[in-house]
Amino acid sequence: MVIRTVSESPSLAPLFAKAALTQRGRHGDLPDSALRREGVVVDRDHLLGYERVCGFGGGDVLPHTYPHVLGFPLQVALMADRSFPLPLPGLVHLENQITVHRQLTADDRLDLTVHAEHLRPHPKGRLVDLVTEVDVDGERVWEGRSTYLRRGRTNADADRGGQAPPLPDRPPAGVIRVPEGQGRAYAAVSGDVNPIHLHAITAKAMGFPRAIAHGMWTAARTLSALGPGTAGPSTSHVWFAKPVLLPSTVELVVDDAGPITVAGLRSAKNPTTTHLTLTLEH
Amino acid sequence: MSPSASSSRSASRTSGQPRRAAVIGGNRIPFARQNAAYAKASNQDMLTAAIEGLVARHGLAGEQVGEVAAGAVLKHARDFNLTRESVLGSSLSARTPAYDVQQACGTGLEAAILVGNKIALGQIESGIAGGTDTASDAPIAVNEGLRETLLTLNRAKTPGQRVKALTGLRPSQLVPEIPRNVEPRTGLSMGEHMAQTAKQWGISREAQDEIAASSHHNLAAAYDRGFFDDLMTPFLGQTRDQNLRPDSTVEKLATLKPVFGRGEGATMTAGNSTPLTDGASAVLLGSDEWAQERGLPVLAHLVDAQTAAVDYVTGNEGLLMAPAYALPHLLARQGMKLQDFDLVEIHEAFAATVLTTLAAWESEEFCRDRLGLDAPIGALDRDRLNVNGSSLAAGHPFAATGGRIVASLAKMLHEKGSGARGLISICAAGGQGVMAILEAA
Repeated sequence: MVIRTVSESPSLAPLFAKAALTQRGRHGDLPDSALRREGVVVDRDHLLGYERVCGFGGGDVLPHTYPHVLGFPLQVALMADRSFPLPLPGLVHLENQITVHRQLTADDRLDLTVHAEHLRPHPKGRLVDLVTEVDVDGERVWEGRSTYLRRGRTNADADRGGQAPPLPDRPPAGVIRVPEGQGRAYAAVSGDVNPIHLHAITAKAMGFPRAIAHGMWTAARTLSALGPGTAGPSTSHVWFAKPVLLPSTVELVVDDAGPITVAGLRSAKNPTTTHLTLTLEH
Repeated sequence: MSPSASSSRSASRTSGQPRRAAVIGGNRIPFARQNAAYAKASNQDMLTAAIEGLVARHGLAGEQVGEVAAGAVLKHARDFNLTRESVLGSSLSARTPAYDVQQACGTGLEAAILVGNKIALGQIESGIAGGTDTASDAPIAVNEGLRETLLTLNRAKTPGQRVKALTGLRPSQLVPEIPRNVEPRTGLSMGEHMAQTAKQWGISREAQDEIAASSHHNLAAAYDRGFFDDLMTPFLGQTRDQNLRPDSTVEKLATLKPVFGRGEGATMTAGNSTPLTDGASAVLLGSDEWAQERGLPVLAHLVDAQTAAVDYVTGNEGLLMAPAYALPHLLARQGMKLQDFDLVEIHEAFAATVLTTLAAWESEEFCRDRLGLDAPIGALDRDRLNVNGSSLAAGHPFAATGGRIVASLAKMLHEKGSGARGLISICAAGGQGVMAILEAA
């Protein structure tokens, strides 16, 4: 695998534009290459902004999901490149898995490497995994796997992969009011300026009735509700179901009686609508 | 008094224990419904009035007491030194120190425990504990976006930075932040939390309405026999708790629509939940010697206290269940049973709070699995519960409730006779609970 090292975090808006302009005619296999950034220094202002937007306590400990936003621009750069076989616009974030091997702080110098793997058929199209690996002094400290779906030719026989466990059928442990501006607030800290998240008008242009919350914000918000323990060694697996339309009110449900915590968000208006299901192991 | 109280008391008293703080008296202003009689009164106005009445009744004008501890739950930023400001506005000596306490609805009782403990340790000879809250004169904060913009502007050093900061202003920032009665970590109101717990414990609507009706009847009867004559100072024309409905009946309460919970299982109404109220209370504590020097009779002593908290955040325990967890510690330390108490005051945050707490103590499963006890704590004789009414009738200005109960219970125990023991249980936001034991002097 060819590893290309970049010195700066790629700027996302131009990458999204490039990906949109070059979306036609993509085909073939995944590129045998990875993007890498070394010695990444956490910007404490940025970290605090992220913590506030996602509901984590403010401080130097990196939240479970924080390295994902550091690696996300590399994911987009990889996918925007002409060598990537799937067009970026319209990719749906279906699942996300994160393993925190040890608790990280703003003092850690992070080496981030992102590559794509496991392009495979899915009943509704094709799936690909974008893998982010984070090392500190040569030690693997964090890894994330984001699974995206490209809707297309259906493959009825294709393996759907591991399915989400049922959402606990319990009274809400909490209610989260997600304001209209949530997409813009998360865009400001994640750099993910995909228009479907920013405003009802731009979202409508992309075929959504209203703007939708970033999946990774809903995941981070759910994890932040589970307490500070998620920053330590732990593994999470998130299955995104129906998007959260903005603004809306969602209910948090949690079952942490067993060894694996199952949590999720469902619509407050219609509790049978699941937005995401999450498992967490320590 | 019951014979069991005196035997358990003598067993628990060992030499070398610190002295017990005496509850000498209490005073409160009548509680008013939100946006009614006290709509324009501030926390400081009300706390000062409660302290001032206490000072007048006990001849403390110009006196320096050891300290005054009080607080409010809903507090303006300008009230950072609320209690000290109230002391300065009272007839107490200006040399009386004061500090603010805040433990949500446990504030008033916690303040009494703090003052009582300092007296017990001999650090002070006298003190006043109190609390005040207004749901009417509530603090309204500027919009979070506007606040951030203004703070950035304040930090700006150059004209360029100032201009840049001002570009952050948005018309939407004119919408103010109004305090919401929800748990910050769950976004659920206290009523919604309680509705979940009530449903889980299968608490019936009828049982809740019965608690509410007795609260009103008991409080009205206490007024009628003049019980509050030396416990209350009129304020802004009010002489009685505005929420009190002496003619309340289970039948009338049954007609109200549920306001918390969902669907068929919803049982909690405006009648069996405490309304938002305004008011203040204060309690005078001291050493026996201090009281004797001034010729002030002692009503009761503060025997023991216990706080507890539960992990309600992921829904594994009810928000208001913490007092259930505090009790076993008190019973073990005092060598007592729940049934040994002559009087029990369980703050009626909601009628369902009282009923779930009692049900939990009766439950073998709960007492075994959650409290780690070999046997259930058992049932409480309802004739000993909230005999002069509680928050459903009187109202519940959050931080003022502890002082209301301490003063009333001390007087009730005193009426029963020396050695009678009473238990106070108050649940608080954040999954907390505060308990205390008083014993008639």
